[in-house]
Amino acid sequence: MAEKLLEVKNLKSVYKTRFNEKITAVDDVSFDLEDGKCLGIAGESGCGKSTLAMSVMGYYYPPLFYESGIVNISGIDITKIPYNQLRKEILGKEIAYIPQAAMNALNPTQRIINLIEDVMEEHISGITKKEIRKIAEDRFETLNLPKDVLQRYPIELSGGMKQRTVIAISTILNPKILIADEPTSALDVTSQKIVIKLLKDLIKRGFIKAMVFITHELPLLYNIADDIMVMYAGEIVESGEAEEVIFDPIHPYSNGLMNSIIVPEKGIKGKKLTVIPGAPPNLKYKLEGCRFFDRCLFAKDECKISEINMKYVNNRSYRCVLQVDELKEMYEDGKKPATT
Amino acid sequence: MKSYRKYMTSKIVWYVLTFVVALFLNFLLPRLIPGNPVSTIVSKITSGMADTNSIKRVYETFEKEFGLNKPIWEQFLIYVSNLLHGNMGTSFGQYPRKVTDILASSIVWTIGLQLPAIIVSWILGNVLGVLAAYIKKGFDKVLFPVFLFISCIPSFGFAIVLVWLFAVALKIAPASGGYAFDMIPSPTLSFFLSVLQHYQLPFWSIVLVGIGGQSLGMREMSIYELNADYVKYCRLLGLKDSKIVRYVFKNAVLPQITGLALSLGTMVGGALITEIVFSYPGLGSVLFNAIAAQDFPLISGCTLLITTGVLIANFVIDIVYGLIDPRIKVAQQE
Repeated sequence: MAEKLLEVKNLKSVYKTRFNEKITAVDDVSFDLEDGKCLGIAGESGCGKSTLAMSVMGYYYPPLFYESGIVNISGIDITKIPYNQLRKEILGKEIAYIPQAAMNALNPTQRIINLIEDVMEEHISGITKKEIRKIAEDRFETLNLPKDVLQRYPIELSGGMKQRTVIAISTILNPKILIADEPTSALDVTSQKIVIKLLKDLIKRGFIKAMVFITHELPLLYNIADDIMVMYAGEIVESGEAEEVIFDPIHPYSNGLMNSIIVPEKGIKGKKLTVIPGAPPNLKYKLEGCRFFDRCLFAKDECKISEINMKYVNNRSYRCVLQVDELKEMYEDGKKPATT
Repeated sequence: MKSYRKYMTSKIVWYVLTFVVALFLNFLLPRLIPGNPVSTIVSKITSGMADTNSIKRVYETFEKEFGLNKPIWEQFLIYVSNLLHGNMGTSFGQYPRKVTDILASSIVWTIGLQLPAIIVSWILGNVLGVLAAYIKKGFDKVLFPVFLFISCIPSFGFAIVLVWLFAVALKIAPASGGYAFDMIPSPTLSFFLSVLQHYQLPFWSIVLVGIGGQSLGMREMSIYELNADYVKYCRLLGLKDSKIVRYVFKNAVLPQITGLALSLGTMVGGALITEIVFSYPGLGSVLFNAIAAQDFPLISGCTLLITTGVLIANFVIDIVYGLIDPRIKVAQQE
C-alpha cells in the first residue's frame, strides 16, 4: 500500500453568520490521499467543495471556522499546530493550492518573478535572488511556459497563461500535495486541455506527489482522477474509482449528476435537458436523514428517519438506505429522472 | 515607447487647452460680480471733496489706469499679453501694490502651512486606515467612529474649537496671525519661534480633519483589497501577513494618490477658511479680501495660481500612475 500523504478524518467546518447561525458546509468528511494518486471531488455549486479545500489547508478565516476532525499532512495534524508553523512549514511547501479564478489570484501590481521571489524567500532561508531566478526559469522551461512571463505583470497574460503561471508558482517548492480548486472552470476547452496536461505532467515529473482535483465538470475528472468522491450538501455521498463512479454510479444523486452531463451529439438540440429537480437543502438547519431526500426520485419514508451512514461495497462506498441491487433495478426500470 | 510619447503629447495638448479655457474664465468670472471696484476706491479717496468735476477726473484716471474703460475683449488681450511678460497687473484693493508681489509674499505662508499639513495627514491617515482594516477588532472599533466624527467636522469648525480650547481656555497657543503682531519678519530665532508657535493650531486643525478623511477612504479600499483573491492565494502560498499587508497597502493607496495630488494642487486655495479663522497671512486671506474688494486682478491672480496648481498636480498623477500601476501603463500605451 502506498504512503498516505493526506489523511482527513471526520472533518467538520462551519460558516458563522452575523446572526450567529451555523452553516455546516463540510460535515464529517473523511478521505485519504495516497502517493501518486489524483482524487477528484465532484458536486454542484455550493455543495462545500471549495470549503473542503480551504479546510484541508487550514485556511480558517472568518466567517469559516474549524469545528472538529483531523487533517494529517505528512504525519502532522495541522488543526492542532499554531498558524505560524502551518504557514511556514506546511503551506506552499507540503501542500499547495491552485485557486478557482486564477484571473484574480495574482496581485495586479506585482511582476510574476517578484511573487516567486517572495514565496521562495519565505520558505527557504538564505536563498538569493539569482538562485530563485534560475530555479524559476528552469521550471518554466520544463513546463513549456515562456520564460518572459516571469518579467510580466498579470494583466499582460491571457487567462489560460495566467492559470498555467499560477500552477507553476504554486508548485515551485515541489509540494507533496496539490489542491486544485476548479482550475479549469474559467477556461475554454483548448486551454482546459493544456492545463490538464500540465497537471498530469507535474505528477509524472515528480514535482508533486498527489493531487486533489475539485470540479463540477465530470468529463474532465474522468481524464485526470483515479478516484472520485461525490459531495452533496456538505457530505460525501459516494466514493470509488473514477471509472466506476462515472459510468456506474450508485447513489441517486451521482446518477442524476451523470445524467445531467451534456454530451455533444447529433440531434441534441431537440432533446430535453435532464436536470435534477429542486435545490439543495439549507444547511442552516439541522438535517434529519438523507439530505437528498427532497430531490430524490427513489425516496422512501425510511430515508427521512435517521442518520444515514456510509455503506461499503467492495472498494466503493455510498450514503443511501437502499442496497446497490435495488438502486440498479430502479435505474433500469426506467424510472428516469424528471425532465424539464 | 513611441505610443507612450503619442499618449503624452495628446495629454499635454489637452492640458494646454484646459489651461486656456481656465485662463479666460479666471479673467471673466470676477468681472461678472455686480458693482464697480473703481467707484469704491474713488469714493474713499475723494471723501470730503465737493467738486464733481474733479471727482469725475479722479474716477476717469483710475479707470484708465486699470484699463476698465476699454471693451472687455481688449482688456482680455492686454491681460494675456501682460501675463506673458510676467505682469499680473496692479491690485485695486491694495493700490499701488503689484499682484505678483502680493501673491509672492502670501504664497510662502500658505505653502508653508499646507504642504506639511497635507503630507503629514496623508501619511498618517493612510497608515492608520490600512491598520484599521487589517487589525479590525478593538482598533477599528475605536478608530473608525473617531475618524468618522472628525472627518464630518468642517475644518473651520474644528479650527474654532481648537482656538477656543487652546487659545482661550488653556491659553497655551496664540489665537491668530502668522507671527506675533509686534514683530517684523526677519531671520531671527525669536521670530522663528513665534512663527512656530502660531503654526500649531492651524496646522493641527488641517491635519486632524485630513487624517479623518484619508483614513476612512484608505480603510474602505484596504478592506476591499484584503478580500481580494490574491490575498487568499498569497496566504495559501504561506506568505507572511506583514508582506501581504504591504501588497494591500500598495494597491489600496493608488486611488489615494489622486487625492493627495489633487489636494496638493488645490492647496494654494484650499485652506481659505482656516486661514481666515486664524487670520493667517496666506493666500486664502488674500483671496478672501480680494473678493470683498472686487479686486479683479488679484482674484484672477489667485485663481490662476490655483488653476495652474491643479493642472500640474493632475499631470504629475498621470505620469506617476504610469510608473507605479502596470494596469495604467498598459492603458497609456494603447
